[in-house]
Amino acid sequence: MIFETFKSLRWADYFLYALTDPRELYRRIKQKDPDPFALSFIVPFIAALFDILVISLMGSESAFFYYKISYGWILIFIYALFKIVVYSSLVDITAQFFGYKGNIREIITIVNFSLFPGFLFLPVFYLFSIINFAPGFFYAFFSIVFFIWYAMIFIQGISEMHSIDFGKSFVIFILPALFIGIVFFLIFILLIITGVGFITA
Amino acid sequence: MERQRKIIVAILALLALIAVIAVVDVGLKIEKKSKTDIALKMPQFGPGVAVIRIEGTIEMSGPRGPFADPSGAEYVIKRLDEIEKDSNIKAVVVRINSPGGTVAATQEIYEKIWKLRKKNIILVASMGDVAASGGYYIASACNYIVANYGTITGSIGVITMSPNLKRLFDKFGIQMNVIKSGKYKDILSTSRDMTAEERSLLQEMIDLSYNKFIKDIALGRNMNQEDIRPVADGRVMNGETALKNKLIDQLGTFEDAILKAKELAALDEDAPVYEREDSPFQEIFGSLQNVFNGKTGIGSELFYNPHKIEYRYMQ
Repeated sequence: MIFETFKSLRWADYFLYALTDPRELYRRIKQKDPDPFALSFIVPFIAALFDILVISLMGSESAFFYYKISYGWILIFIYALFKIVVYSSLVDITAQFFGYKGNIREIITIVNFSLFPGFLFLPVFYLFSIINFAPGFFYAFFSIVFFIWYAMIFIQGISEMHSIDFGKSFVIFILPALFIGIVFFLIFILLIITGVGFITA
Repeated sequence: MERQRKIIVAILALLALIAVIAVVDVGLKIEKKSKTDIALKMPQFGPGVAVIRIEGTIEMSGPRGPFADPSGAEYVIKRLDEIEKDSNIKAVVVRINSPGGTVAATQEIYEKIWKLRKKNIILVASMGDVAASGGYYIASACNYIVANYGTITGSIGVITMSPNLKRLFDKFGIQMNVIKSGKYKDILSTSRDMTAEERSLLQEMIDLSYNKFIKDIALGRNMNQEDIRPVADGRVMNGETALKNKLIDQLGTFEDAILKAKELAALDEDAPVYEREDSPFQEIFGSLQNVFNGKTGIGSELFYNPHKIEYRYMQ
């Protein structure tokens, strides 16, 4: 059964529409042919490895790569999963706050597939790394480009999911991000205060 | 549709290929770097040599704090315990960079090293800038001592001292109210002259510690006490003079000491060297702790407490 599904290449549609048509991506997710939920976690798993590779190509002595890549890979993947689950939950809560129906499973799937264009970060950055043309600048530049791409896929996915316009889905996307940003900022401040107190004790 | 699916599969395959190339590329870069400037910390296995460092003034406990660099006699003994239990450790290089320290702490380390020596674990002392007095005491427990030409060593002896501030107190009209249970309870008091009886009592204690020092060195170095006494008058000497006086066995570097330890333990030249390393977190937070505690590279020597009896070279 799994082999037949694999052979049919229907699973490739998710990756294809993540790049070309995010609204169609959501429609395919809803059709569940094949079930995209488990499959979608391959994306953050591979993205974690690509992150390590890009950082290593930057010349950073990434302990994850240099010493125990397997541990680093798993750690980054777990961290990504944590972010995805927390963020998806917040998006779901926000959508419900605005009166839309919640569906955390579908949101997680959309978030996962939204990360797919990030795979292209490696080859694109690799090119600039090989020719040694401002790799630091292009690392920052492409980080922003791929984040915007990810956001566009996700916002369109949410828009299609709740049958709302782009503006409203943008608000649903941005509010949890702002909330997380504020929470992390406050945690950062608290950690500094606690850390200084702990060290000086 | 089928064609588009095949294209996306081809893209995925291409990405996988690029990932493999990147892995190989980074791997090769690592190998290149490891041969030049960056030493890769790969896991090491098998029989080898352990390194233990004794740095600074020897005291029973090292600095306290969650990120403090573990040191002090208690830590050294704990580490020697771990070494003793590890069947992979066939030899130990004791790297000493210390002017000595308190009598009890020095003796505890000496006894622990001696215990390891009796268990046929090869111990080689490697002297850094200074391995004087208590630093030398510890080295003498090892099977073999390697020092640099410029290492300051010797200073075999015991010392205690306290400032006599009586005249200063008198000048400012300061008087100490001392209520004591016995006549010697405020021995080494800074507010009065030392009595002849107190001096004699302390001298006796110093002499006993000194004799123990000489006895232990003679035992460790397999020499007669009488051969050591002529140079055990507190004098300091460099590595070359120490070699002439048979206080050390060889002039050489830390690397030579490692090689000697491997040779004495019949290990291969490429046998692993095990050394405790600080985690990056400990290094960062340890530095921060020092900054917040006002320790910015200046040692605790400024706040040296003189009310101690020490095997120590006073610089």
